Amino acid sequence: MRPVFLAGSILAVSLAAAGALFAQDAPRLRGPEPFSLDAPAPPMPRPITNDVRVRRNYPDQPPLIPHNVEGYALDLNANQCMTCHARRFTEQSQAPMISVTHYQDRDGTTLGGLAPRRYACLACHVPQTEARPLVENTFRDMDELAEPEQRTGARGRR
Amino acid sequence: MSATEDTGAEKQAERQPGWIRRRWNAFRNLPLIRTALGPATTLSLAFLTLGGFFAGVVFWGGFNTVLEYTNRTEFCIGCHEMRANVFEELQGTIHAVNRSGVRAQCADCHVPHDWTHKMGRKMQASMEVWGHLFGTISTRELFLNHRRTMAEREWARMEANDSLQCRNCHTAEAMDLTKQNPRAAAAHERFLFTGERTCIQCHRGIAHRLPDMHGVPGWQ
Amino acid sequence: MGLSRRELIKTQAAAAATAAACGIVPASAQNVPVGDELRLKWDKAPCRFCGTGCGVMVGTRDGRIVATHGDMRAEVNRGLNCVKGYFLSKILYGSDRLTQPLMRMRDGRLDKDGEFRPVTWDQAFDAMAAHWKRVLREKGPEAVGMFGSGQWTMFEGYAATKLMRGGFRSNNLDPNARHCMASAAVTFIRTFGSDEPMGCYDDFEHADAFVLWGSNMAEMHPILWTRVTDRRLSARHVRIHTLSTYQHRTTELSDAGIIFKPGTDLVILNYIANHIIQSGAVNRDFVQRHVNIRMANTDIGYGLRPEHVLEQRAQHANDAQVSHPADFEAYARLMSEYTLDRAHEVSGVPKPQLEALARLYADPKTKVMSLWTMGMNQHVRGVWANHMVYNIHLLTGKISEPGNSPFSLTGQPSACGTAREVGCFAHRLPADMQVTNPEHRRTAEEIWKLPQGLLPSRVGYHAVLQDRMLKDGKLNAYWIMCNNNLQTAPNTNNETYPGYRNPANLIVVSDPYPTVTALAADIILPTAMWVEKEGAYGNAERRTQFWRQLVDAPGEARSDLWQLMEFSKRFTTDEVWPAEILDRAPEYRGKTLFDVLYRNGQVDSVPLSELGAEQKNQESRAFGFYVHKGLWNEYVRFGNDHGHDYADFDTYHEVRGLRWPVVRGQETKWRYREGLDPYVEAGSGVQFYGNPDKKANLIGAPYEPPAEVPDAEYDLWLVTGRVLEHWHSGSMTLRVPELYRAFPSALLYMHPEDAQQRGLRRGQEVRIVSRRGEIRSRVEIRGRNRVPRGVVYVPFFDASQLINKVTLDATDPISKQTDFKKCAVKVALASDRSGATAQTPPDPRGGPR
Repeated sequence: MRPVFLAGSILAVSLAAAGALFAQDAPRLRGPEPFSLDAPAPPMPRPITNDVRVRRNYPDQPPLIPHNVEGYALDLNANQCMTCHARRFTEQSQAPMISVTHYQDRDGTTLGGLAPRRYACLACHVPQTEARPLVENTFRDMDELAEPEQRTGARGRR
Repeated sequence: MSATEDTGAEKQAERQPGWIRRRWNAFRNLPLIRTALGPATTLSLAFLTLGGFFAGVVFWGGFNTVLEYTNRTEFCIGCHEMRANVFEELQGTIHAVNRSGVRAQCADCHVPHDWTHKMGRKMQASMEVWGHLFGTISTRELFLNHRRTMAEREWARMEANDSLQCRNCHTAEAMDLTKQNPRAAAAHERFLFTGERTCIQCHRGIAHRLPDMHGVPGWQ
Repeated sequence: MGLSRRELIKTQAAAAATAAACGIVPASAQNVPVGDELRLKWDKAPCRFCGTGCGVMVGTRDGRIVATHGDMRAEVNRGLNCVKGYFLSKILYGSDRLTQPLMRMRDGRLDKDGEFRPVTWDQAFDAMAAHWKRVLREKGPEAVGMFGSGQWTMFEGYAATKLMRGGFRSNNLDPNARHCMASAAVTFIRTFGSDEPMGCYDDFEHADAFVLWGSNMAEMHPILWTRVTDRRLSARHVRIHTLSTYQHRTTELSDAGIIFKPGTDLVILNYIANHIIQSGAVNRDFVQRHVNIRMANTDIGYGLRPEHVLEQRAQHANDAQVSHPADFEAYARLMSEYTLDRAHEVSGVPKPQLEALARLYADPKTKVMSLWTMGMNQHVRGVWANHMVYNIHLLTGKISEPGNSPFSLTGQPSACGTAREVGCFAHRLPADMQVTNPEHRRTAEEIWKLPQGLLPSRVGYHAVLQDRMLKDGKLNAYWIMCNNNLQTAPNTNNETYPGYRNPANLIVVSDPYPTVTALAADIILPTAMWVEKEGAYGNAERRTQFWRQLVDAPGEARSDLWQLMEFSKRFTTDEVWPAEILDRAPEYRGKTLFDVLYRNGQVDSVPLSELGAEQKNQESRAFGFYVHKGLWNEYVRFGNDHGHDYADFDTYHEVRGLRWPVVRGQETKWRYREGLDPYVEAGSGVQFYGNPDKKANLIGAPYEPPAEVPDAEYDLWLVTGRVLEHWHSGSMTLRVPELYRAFPSALLYMHPEDAQQRGLRRGQEVRIVSRRGEIRSRVEIRGRNRVPRGVVYVPFFDASQLINKVTLDATDPISKQTDFKKCAVKVALASDRSGATAQTPPDPRGGPR
């Protein structure tokens, strides 16, 4: 929450002081200033592996992966994601089951297992790192719009 | 195979003992062999026992050196099959590069540490030399075709010895659950500590890529 | 909050139960949201990222986007989106959106060395117009230029091409799509006389084999990849062969991942042709009836500056595009040099893999879909490589029918629709017409109602040449729209940036966000994006898709279309057209460019009443007529009855896109095949009617090496590209927290042994150095890409690791498309430089399991 506010206030201040409109020390989004300057490479952030589910921005957003998937097999031989998230393994793994949409083929017919078109899990579901966003995103979800009194509370999520 | 060929083979088998015996007798009659097989007549008992002991030491040392040598990763990847396939895949994985810099060598996982099992494994390894000479997995394609067989052999061995090679480094008793992510901690508590499963049953394909997993329990 | 809310509901439920028991029903259900409270407004739009053209449903409420999901009714994706597509809702809401024009100023005036200050649109346009007029007066039309975009809507591209060619009389208009698929576009014209694929995405469900030539579809075209994997996993006989210079997510899901040495795909392609010829698999009848055989000029240079030694040395650097008629025997003779042994030797690919691949193409019973993207297009011999793929499809007749399909994928959402169909290239006019062709120019002048002889005939500066001309001071007024070229052009520190800061030049950038390019400009114009404007995109399968404006752009941000049209008001014909033209056509005198280009009785002919009363449409409301429909109605006249027919405007707002040519209301899935394409005459079977003789050109070419090859000092190949989570330079996706956190910064993918050899560990900071420049990055030896020894891969999305400072500005000499996939670099520990800056880099901290 704090970095978000910090970024916001930095932006507000810099907008107010028009002379230093883009004076930002981190060239992460805008490139080095001046362009020809040699910029240091930021450290590689750690992956988030806390297994805590992250709230979705809207119902159709694919859930984020709260664990590391490095080295997971996702090839013609094996789909490692399914060793926990397949319907029949969820009892032992206590992992969320793949959604019902994942059983449907291109024509909307429900199949007996994961639809082949959904095989490449990582095309839609991505793990996260501990990197802190560079700028705030002011997207507001439907609940915030429907119930404005919740807005302030909802900001502090993560 | 046709019937005539069968009879031919039988006839040959009948003739063979005679031929082998003849060669054996000729061998036995060689002067050097005759001396070697006869009792010692000029050497002292001390020489024979001490000499035998030292020879044994040298032999044993040499044997172990060879064993040690063949346990080295450099030896394993001396063969193109190992280097281009399994070693190539190992690099970059957690068992090759990690936080504390402890690196698993091929033998750490694939050769048992105690003597009996190690010898057994080394005997098996002669099969692999055979495979190398005959080019059983000489190309990537052949290697991939054989991968399931080879992987199953390793899984079976590890399941049989309760993942002994894993446990040489990773003992269940030494695990600190607070240092594991919740998912891993829960799984270890439920399956590992209860003895319901052994390491390899969940941790397959962590150092090398997986074969076709069709029909493997726990996989789709 | 949730808790208290649940309690509240509970209380209410209890109350309701009591009330019901007492026979009283409450008038409204209070805090349980029902009906209108839950209702969102849903509209369709195509995704604004890659060229796949997925359909997206956009949910809005109170003037904001609150949700998006894959459009079930969209043929392309049937409800699926990739992770970027699923987060489209958030790309509009980065808190550093530009909301007012900014100008570098000092002492209240425009000054290249000044600081950015907010100004009004009028101030910005006035300053621009003054500079444009001065440049036009002093140096003429060739000193003004515009760098456009395959992300422009078709309306924007059309308005821009009119303004540049018909208004300023300059062909110095090129799209960023030049960097992306010029090789494909040029080869389509050279081979078939008509741009864009003959097949369509339906081929995915018909093919028996997929061959990917330099395309990591799993990351770059994820939704099309779902269709490939769907087919592969649903039908046992289907095979995927993926050719690449390193292993990635696509090779993992392929039956064969074929890793070749950079640039040697040409050898493999010619080997396949040779195999087809040698094994008697040539479809003689097809070749005889439908194919002309030609041979390309060879030794054609590398598109570098003409004084470069490689250009000086090349025999045909200046007539690279020329090919000569030949016969089958001559072609077969050239191909016969490409034996299995040689292909194996040069490419490093195992022979069994090569043979299996060749057999796929040669087997008449196997329907093959060849797919390619940047690996083949961003290639100093990209046009040749494209030809070679067509050659093997033409030799076997495996073309223009379901499942048999050479198919070029595009990276920009409207590379086809805008850059190619509308004609935003320096050499093109709408509907495949060329600026060098006097008849084509006359047609354009007629449709545009412009005086004869107005349109310029010289091919304008292409993307890389624009940068060189800016640097050399020959291009002085430059407007960059809808792209981030300073980050994405090659060799930027030496060839792009100096032109932007050249005191003689005024650089204007229109963008929603402060990008690297915007910050190097003199004027930044805030731009409406995606559904903040009405738009049309054309995807890779010739599908044209429309969308409505759904929300308002923030602050004073305006669409590129509004900017182009509004800017045109500041010029009169007398100021920009030569006197002799106005003497011949005096009726144009005194009119503004807006009058002659947009208020021309055509573009302004659709009244606002055709727009729904509540329908948002900023441009139309501003100009007083339905701009988009007017532009469309004029534009479609170029292609109708010429093989480029579109449906009418309103239809596109109803359907989920249609594939042109749309003839008598029917879209065309496969072109050039009788029964599938209405333009093909009965009894002919196949007609490549883009060419006058209705035959395709098979153009033979040899292997020629890349422009720069690793040597003792610069000992590694550098390959650059994208990642799944970020689209191109990341200007939108880096502002979505979930996408940013998924892949926060660029990395140097390196083979573990190459790293070890240099004493590098995972996560250490390194310098990547080429003859052009250097950047700092971090070593990655695991993860999604596994490079072979001698190759490194760096994505280009990260503004803090501008890998294009390192790349080489070599292009295909024919298509002028940059080769971002091959140059030589060395990699060393960052702290090694002088010892003085030897700070211990932080712990790698990579990958706890």
